[in-house]
Amino acid sequence: MKRFFLLAVLLLPGVAAHAATPPDTSAAAVPPAPRKWWRPAHLLLQTGGGLGQVAAGAGYALAKNRLETDVLFGYVPRKYAGSTLSLASLKVMYSPFRLQVAPKVQVLPLTVGAYASYTHGIANDGVRGQYPKDYYWFSVDTRVGPLLGGRVTYLAPPLAATGQPRRVSAYYELGTNDLYIASFFGNLNGGLGFGKILTLALGVKADF
Amino acid sequence: MCLSATLRRWFRLVPVVALLGLAGCDMLEFSPSDHRVPEEFTRLTEKNLAKLQARPLAAGDTLRFVFTGDSQKFYDEAEELVKSVNQQPGISFLFVAGDVSDFGLARELRWVDEKLRRLKVPYLTVVGNHDLVGNGREAYQHVYGPLNYSFVYGDTKFVLIDTNSREYNFNHKVPDINWLQTQLATLDGARRQVVMAHVPPDDGDFDSTLEIPYAQALGTAPNVVLGLSGHNHSFRIGEYYDDGVTYINSDAFSEHSYVVVTMWGDRQFRIKRVRF
Repeated sequence: MKRFFLLAVLLLPGVAAHAATPPDTSAAAVPPAPRKWWRPAHLLLQTGGGLGQVAAGAGYALAKNRLETDVLFGYVPRKYAGSTLSLASLKVMYSPFRLQVAPKVQVLPLTVGAYASYTHGIANDGVRGQYPKDYYWFSVDTRVGPLLGGRVTYLAPPLAATGQPRRVSAYYELGTNDLYIASFFGNLNGGLGFGKILTLALGVKADF
Repeated sequence: MCLSATLRRWFRLVPVVALLGLAGCDMLEFSPSDHRVPEEFTRLTEKNLAKLQARPLAAGDTLRFVFTGDSQKFYDEAEELVKSVNQQPGISFLFVAGDVSDFGLARELRWVDEKLRRLKVPYLTVVGNHDLVGNGREAYQHVYGPLNYSFVYGDTKFVLIDTNSREYNFNHKVPDINWLQTQLATLDGARRQVVMAHVPPDDGDFDSTLEIPYAQALGTAPNVVLGLSGHNHSFRIGEYYDDGVTYINSDAFSEHSYVVVTMWGDRQFRIKRVRF
């Protein structure tokens, strides 16, 4: 939770700055300058979701911003996991609906997606020859899982210099992973409630 | 006036937000290897031993306990096991012979504890190879406690030891034979001793260079009666080293079966397999 407040604090100055800009100067008279193809559409910062105590990343938006793909680098301190972990993750998300709830506020009620993550720094992930083939059926370092979430977006005035539209969003994601799913489906008589396998991620995303 | 009314309205949300916050904190998992759990799911070995010692067994009394192995990801079976074990008369505790988890994750250890804490008797565990995968060693130590430990209950001294040599890539330090010999050297007021581990000594996952030293440690120590293990998910009993020590391997949760061990006198014991 502490981390969530930190994110909120990080986010606030940005929002305040946008709010201070007089709205009449923000209208993009000139069309936005063309972007370099490699330039990410957004930067993001999140906590949880099995992808790090803190994870920062960048991503691209496709299909009129409905489809996004993000790359994240996360970090977990040793005191929480027994060894310091660094995670590299890829997320793909689809948000079909966009509700305009106020002139400058949009709600994306549904985001469905999936992620894959690789963790570096696991204490015992096996060395060559340690295990016979298929000793463990699962990977220790690589996780995959589904995501389901939502988002509130504040439409900030475009950058005066370039005319690029800007958005600041706060999002949540409920997720799980392949190992928890395997545990759930092995116990369909109610031995493991579905809620027990869920994880939560909270984050902010800035499109610029 | 208006402001205070608004404030009061918002304050009504405080418990809701607090509840969501608590649930959220629990779900904000940094990694599956993140072993943060509420305090009630930590130091379980120490807590369960305290519960056991709170119901002491008088000297000379017959000891009865349930012995099973490999709870792993069998939560449906764990519920059935708890129902069955709760009907066993006169038992002091339940012992899980390792592989408490399947993937060495703290969440799994918590899920298992949520089942086994419904037992009428305390339960004790020893670390298994699945509990040492990934960052499982740290998770196990955080949730349960030491990998090697011993205790005396009634007339019996129990020595629990990590025998998962493969998880240490056969570094010839696991099982810790010196620690085992030191523990077994004295009875600490007990009449007999029982050794509990996960991997049995003649298994391919047990360091073959330590098999004979391990068996000798049990065979030459004062009055070691039983060597218990799990790992193979199948029941087996025998005096494999011709030294008076009976080795018993238990079924697993997945086999819907456990063993009731009854011990009395200096070396007498009886084994009963129970299906659930």
